[in-house]
Amino acid sequence: MKSLSLYQERDSIIHEIEPINKLLYILTTILIMIIVPSIKCAVLCMIISLMLLLKANVIKKVLPIINFSFIILISIIIIQGLFNINNKTVLFNIGKIKFYKEGMMYSALIVIRVINILCAFALLVLTTKPSDLIEDLVRRGLSPKIGYVLSSVLQIIPQMTSTMGTIMDAQRSRGLETEGKLINRIKAFFPLIGPVVMNSLIATRERAMALEIRAFSSKNKKTFLNETKSTKLDSSLKYIFIAAVILSIIWRAAIWTK
Amino acid sequence: MDKIVVENLKYKYPLTDKLVLNDISFKIEKGQFIGIIGQNGAGKSTLCQAITGLVPLFFKGAYGGRVLVDGIEVAKSNISDISLKVGMVFQNPFTQVTGSKLTVYEEVAFGLENIGLNREEMKNRIDEALNLLGIYRFKDRNPFDLSGGQMQRLAIAGIIAMQPDVIILDEPTSQLDPQGSEEVFKAVWDLKKRGITIIMVEHKMEKIAEYSDKVLLMHDGKVIDFDTPEKIFSRDDLMQYGVIEPAYTRICKAFDIKDSGLYPVTLDRACEMVVKYNEHN
Amino acid sequence: MSKKSMWSVKFSTASLVLIPAAVGINYIGKLFAGVLKLPLWLDSIGTMLASMLAGPVIGALSGAINNIIYGLTMDPISFVYAVTSIAIGITIGILAYKGLIKNILSAVLCGIIAAFVAAVVSTPINIAFWGGQTGNIWGDGLFAILVAKKFPLWIASFLDELVVDIPDKAATLIVSYIIFKGLPKSLTNLYDNKNEIEQL
Ligand SMILES: Nc1ncnc2c1ncn2[C@@H]1O[C@H](COP(=O)(O)OP(=O)(O)O)[C@@H](O)[C@H]1O
Ligand SMILES: [Mg+2]
Repeated sequence: MKSLSLYQERDSIIHEIEPINKLLYILTTILIMIIVPSIKCAVLCMIISLMLLLKANVIKKVLPIINFSFIILISIIIIQGLFNINNKTVLFNIGKIKFYKEGMMYSALIVIRVINILCAFALLVLTTKPSDLIEDLVRRGLSPKIGYVLSSVLQIIPQMTSTMGTIMDAQRSRGLETEGKLINRIKAFFPLIGPVVMNSLIATRERAMALEIRAFSSKNKKTFLNETKSTKLDSSLKYIFIAAVILSIIWRAAIWTK
Repeated sequence: MDKIVVENLKYKYPLTDKLVLNDISFKIEKGQFIGIIGQNGAGKSTLCQAITGLVPLFFKGAYGGRVLVDGIEVAKSNISDISLKVGMVFQNPFTQVTGSKLTVYEEVAFGLENIGLNREEMKNRIDEALNLLGIYRFKDRNPFDLSGGQMQRLAIAGIIAMQPDVIILDEPTSQLDPQGSEEVFKAVWDLKKRGITIIMVEHKMEKIAEYSDKVLLMHDGKVIDFDTPEKIFSRDDLMQYGVIEPAYTRICKAFDIKDSGLYPVTLDRACEMVVKYNEHN
Repeated sequence: MSKKSMWSVKFSTASLVLIPAAVGINYIGKLFAGVLKLPLWLDSIGTMLASMLAGPVIGALSGAINNIIYGLTMDPISFVYAVTSIAIGITIGILAYKGLIKNILSAVLCGIIAAFVAAVVSTPINIAFWGGQTGNIWGDGLFAILVAKKFPLWIASFLDELVVDIPDKAATLIVSYIIFKGLPKSLTNLYDNKNEIEQL
């Protein structure tokens, strides 16, 4: 059974950093981009993220993550290049279709910003086990019950997916049509999803009881089997983030006073 | 010394009219092995849940009478506190895996983390529980990768680690294959030898007869009888309660092989009595 | 019935355990819709069921956790749309609590309401993130036409989201409603936090 995750096992300093600091890194990146909304700043942030991803030896795994947003990014470039309200200056044309500079610049900012945020997130998700992230958050005050819910989702999804194939086969062998006309496919949806939903909801009752019997609702302060390891780097990172935000405010002020 | 006292227990699930437990009273001594039998819907699971406090604290509904564990009234306590005294193992091994832990070892720690045990003690208890259930070698596996029998033993390990004095098992082998069932029964036998008070609901009457000090026969929310396996299985009205006596008892009943009015319930005893019967005739 | 019980944040274990199941159901719905090549996402059946079973707070939590987990394990962008999922969970939870989802027709209407709420919440995100687009061919096609005709950006973006959401949320709620009706009472009343222990 595989737990759901994008985590890549590597031996790097980035992997050692506390999960909370990687979350703060994302926050800092977004904050800086809001404070200084220029392409120059976004590119700078992106270079830093890419260097860190390189250091973590996971840079190749960033592409599939960006891929999720690839089509929408392309369509943004096209639609904005063609139709942006501020479009005036023709940048280039393909046949009769004219692409405008204003729209292209606008879409470039969007694309860089999105890729930037994706890279910052990639740094977290590629170098941190989801279960470690959740446990770290619980140690820092996240409700252990919410922590439980989050980590159990990670295992429940692969489990439900693995029953999916079985159900498909079973229903097909009973003559269920899963191809062809739309109406047939719509009709097929219920016999497919029905059993999974029923089973998983009915299972929740016994699981809830089993959790109760294992002191899930205990008022005692929770302890942890695993020890934490925090590096020297971890304690200084927070100051680096604060410094970065202050620097970006100064940058913004400099733009204004110009 | 009475470990568990049930007095005039009555219970109805929410939004239902039927008394699922109808004026039940009995006592269980420390260290006893109690088998609970009766047909489906008799109220066996509900009774087990009433001893752990799940009924009424988890299910709500309408409740009367008392259940005392070590003199503490469960309906007035809370389930986490009771879980330190009474553990419970359910039918489906799958639903008892918490789902939040990635290894067997961490899975056993779940309850211990919740009660706030320190790390040293936690590790000692986990090692002990895994060894006792014979699954120590799987400690680094994902719980969902175990077989049914192994998973059910993991569920028991998670309960044992909490060190309760009483363990309730509600049809622990009903969803397992024969091999998995044997693994679990062996584990249950080991627990009994350690002096833990055990309550087990089970349809395999041979096992009930072999393990139990006393058997509780339930029907339609009522306790019909609570006595030694010999007395219970020697009754001639078992059919009426949807219970079929162990094979050995059935054979001896057919030939009317009995000793002071009681039929044998285990293989050894049946052989003994058949030999004696042959010598006689 | 007091208002308090709908908004109670004292979670029972039963309701908490409902959340992972809901997220799993969302995922399975989406997968089956994909396998059957249905022109809809159907990826919030679990959230809607959780709302109907255990109220707006658990519904909202299911929605939020759904997107957080997707964000952590598949597409980070889905983090941002947690807000939309929360809004859907709350809306359906309230509608169900008020007893407004009582047959297929009302399920369609309530689905449309949920679609409106989802579109209202998503539009600012779509504008901030994607310049107003949604990534759906039909919606973005409409968006391109409206932008070309010089409609205000927020209207174009809102309609882009809405045309996709209306059929999807209505269909999702129909499916959820049908499943909900088929659940045994002994299960549905487990999540009811109005229940008290009655003395016999
Ligand atoms: N959660 C529930 N809500 C309502 N009725 C229930 C619930 N669980 C069990 N029952 C009913 O209570 C009766 C006893 O059930 P149970 O204790 O499970 O019996 P057994 O374990 O002996 O088969 C049955 O009639 C069953 O339908
Ligand atoms: Mg039962």
